Amino acid sequence: MMRTIEVLIVIIIITGAFIAASFFAVLPWPRQVSPVNLRRLSFTTLEMLDSNYDLSRAAFETENYTIWGGLQIALSASLPPNIIYNLTVYEVTGETTQLYTFIDSMSNAESLGVTSDASSYMVASSNVTFNVVPEKIGEHSGGGTLYILNCSDAPGWWITGYTAQGLANDLYNLLSPYFSNTIMVQNTAELGKILDGTSLHGETLQNAVVINTCGEAVPIPSNYADMYPQNTYAEYFYQLGKRVLQYNWTWTSIVGWPFYYVSNINKFSSYDNGWGIYGMRQTGNPGLNAFLQGLDNRSSYVPGSSSTSSPGVVYLSSQAIDSSNYYGIYPSPYQTSTRALPTSITTDYHLDVTTCVFNPVGSSIPAAVYRHKVTIGGTTQYQGGFYAIGLTRTPDIRLTALGLLADYRPRLYRSEYTANGTSRIVVLQLGLVGGV
Amino acid sequence: MVSSTIDHLVAVTVFLAATLLFIGLFNQTIQTAVIYQRHRATATKASDLLDNMLLSPGIPVNWGQTDVNLTGFGLQDPEFTQYRMSPYSLMRLQSSVGDPVYYNATGQWYSNVTIGDRNFMLVPDSLALDYSTATRLLGINNTYGFQLTLTPIVSVSIEATQLANSLRLDIEASGVGFPLSSATISYCFLKVGSQENNTYYDISFGTDVADDTGSASISIPNVVAGDSYAFIAYARQSGLVGVGYHERTKDENKYVIPFIDSFDEGRVLLVHSRDVHGDEPSEYTLFYNATFVLLTEDFTLREMPITTTGDRVVYGGSSENVTIPTYNPGILVVTYKTQGADQDGVVLMPWGVGSLAFSVTFGGDPAKQEWVATDMRQVVVGGIAYQAKIAVWSLEGYQVVG
Repeated sequence: MMRTIEVLIVIIIITGAFIAASFFAVLPWPRQVSPVNLRRLSFTTLEMLDSNYDLSRAAFETENYTIWGGLQIALSASLPPNIIYNLTVYEVTGETTQLYTFIDSMSNAESLGVTSDASSYMVASSNVTFNVVPEKIGEHSGGGTLYILNCSDAPGWWITGYTAQGLANDLYNLLSPYFSNTIMVQNTAELGKILDGTSLHGETLQNAVVINTCGEAVPIPSNYADMYPQNTYAEYFYQLGKRVLQYNWTWTSIVGWPFYYVSNINKFSSYDNGWGIYGMRQTGNPGLNAFLQGLDNRSSYVPGSSSTSSPGVVYLSSQAIDSSNYYGIYPSPYQTSTRALPTSITTDYHLDVTTCVFNPVGSSIPAAVYRHKVTIGGTTQYQGGFYAIGLTRTPDIRLTALGLLADYRPRLYRSEYTANGTSRIVVLQLGLVGGV
Repeated sequence: MVSSTIDHLVAVTVFLAATLLFIGLFNQTIQTAVIYQRHRATATKASDLLDNMLLSPGIPVNWGQTDVNLTGFGLQDPEFTQYRMSPYSLMRLQSSVGDPVYYNATGQWYSNVTIGDRNFMLVPDSLALDYSTATRLLGINNTYGFQLTLTPIVSVSIEATQLANSLRLDIEASGVGFPLSSATISYCFLKVGSQENNTYYDISFGTDVADDTGSASISIPNVVAGDSYAFIAYARQSGLVGVGYHERTKDENKYVIPFIDSFDEGRVLLVHSRDVHGDEPSEYTLFYNATFVLLTEDFTLREMPITTTGDRVVYGGSSENVTIPTYNPGILVVTYKTQGADQDGVVLMPWGVGSLAFSVTFGGDPAKQEWVATDMRQVVVGGIAYQAKIAVWSLEGYQVVG
């Protein structure tokens, strides 16, 4: 009998354990198993209402009953009937210990039901303008000079519809905020000066960016034109490549086949480029080859030739699209390339492609920034660069700006959004009613 | 001795019975908890999947505007951030509700989202993304199933009443939980006209304001009974935008069907309806005229001329091409007239899902699943407010006890 009593006692103990376990192991309500994500729902509702800035307008015009009432109608219409809400607008003050000040609120219920969640959304007044301060290229690493060739005595080619001077002005407006110093090189004599190592206005010559706005033609200083016998102007480009390497410049060709002509209205007044444009001489395809030889620090110039290809329609690379959004420069995402450089130049002349502006097509690179590799003391580094945009005419100088910014990546410092009276925060709290 | 043995036997029997009973009870509690955890994991997955789809444009980012195969699934509009969906990517999702349509001349099946009798969206299967590819791209094949549904938040219903020499259109705009009181209504009325072997249209635009119940009444003069027309209305209130449409046709037996042929080039094929699902041949040629209507940023409608390869579609003949010259969402309106008969009509096709507030249902069928988790977001598709809902279920199976 004792054994049976003992077993009964054990049963009572286990029953107690089961009851205790069941008491603590309470399973949640079905609603808690798969809850409606009220936080995301409220955030997306706010975002949707602000898709055309109507919410921003309403948040700053709470005393306007038409607009405020319209917001309440839209809010009620957009949420399912079993969801109740409370929308509150706060002013962001930031000047006192109280960060947010209550402005107004609206609700369609006294309480927020059995479960609720909220999210907030910052809106800005339409009257406010936010300031953006760009980081200067070369601010920390030295250099930071931008030379824009605005040579009045050098005509351009493949810039049809524009003048070199007009393009130079546009480039100045686009790029000067990003550089420590922007110099407009006004004539070929000034170009000669900087090639010879003399700064024009006390700027730093080293590590500069030089943009040639003359298209396929390159301005040639008179003394350089005199240096070379007729029809061997390719050697000028060899010297130019040497200077680019020596000063660690980034030479930029804005359109077409780079270094195809030399241009100086005084020197070549009675010559045309073969297409009726006087003031320039055709160098032809050896020009690019000569420049690359100079950039590659070859000991002497050996006549050779270069080639380009025509891959047709090309598309902006993901890096370029990213920079496009970051800097707010929006050229067409697809363009026509008829002067793309071959990938073989990277191995022939020790170049690295640091920024591909358009996606390569086979062995053609439509537009890219190339950096020349040198080895000093066992360490490989870049010395001299070249940005070639092998698109068809006419040039889109936004691509010039985009490629350079994508390569240098200067940061943009935006002003704070908590400026007094310009920002409000909208909090939408949603609750569920009915059901379990 | 005997009583002691009986005592032991009774005690052991009772103890074993009680132990088995309690094992069963505890096991049930544990099983329920395990299932709860699995359901909870499915619910978390649903929220996660929905955000993955809605907050990524996919790879390539503009896949909705091209004919390429995608390598990453996402529906976000690449030109915007947050919950704005690409109206074109949504067009390339293979519908799981409409019956596919086969067109002999191209030898292709078309994913079918057709609303009413004359509002088509037919996308070739070769360009439409199917469910199994989507699950592979999302990395959930054989583990989870899903169904994604996008439905417009605002419904704009239109009813027509024929008066003596004019037409009265009663418009009612409402959201999911409330009428869209005092909504601004922008509309476009396109009346079909026809001559011998030619069709043309008169198009007019206007705006009105709904009353407190979200209703408005618009009178269109010089429309008599039997006139063919299309009416498109956008209703807007504080960032909430919806669209509705209504059309009337004289010839309901023969009409033009638009098939999307290329997203890259914006090319649409126009086909004689009898070539697609006619039971009998038709000797009647259909003369057509096409135009494109788009919603501008100030919420007014604007007409944009488009190029066509011809002016008629013939039964058994080759299809005609229409090229839509823009990637702004809008509506392709095709008016047609039957040769030698006083019968004409109009068909509509959205270019971008939101333009005609088409619903999108993509994915598997949740109806027969053991347990389904759902979640939803409010999104914008081409300026139109939509609700995106996802239903997710596990494909790994659960063992249910009890």
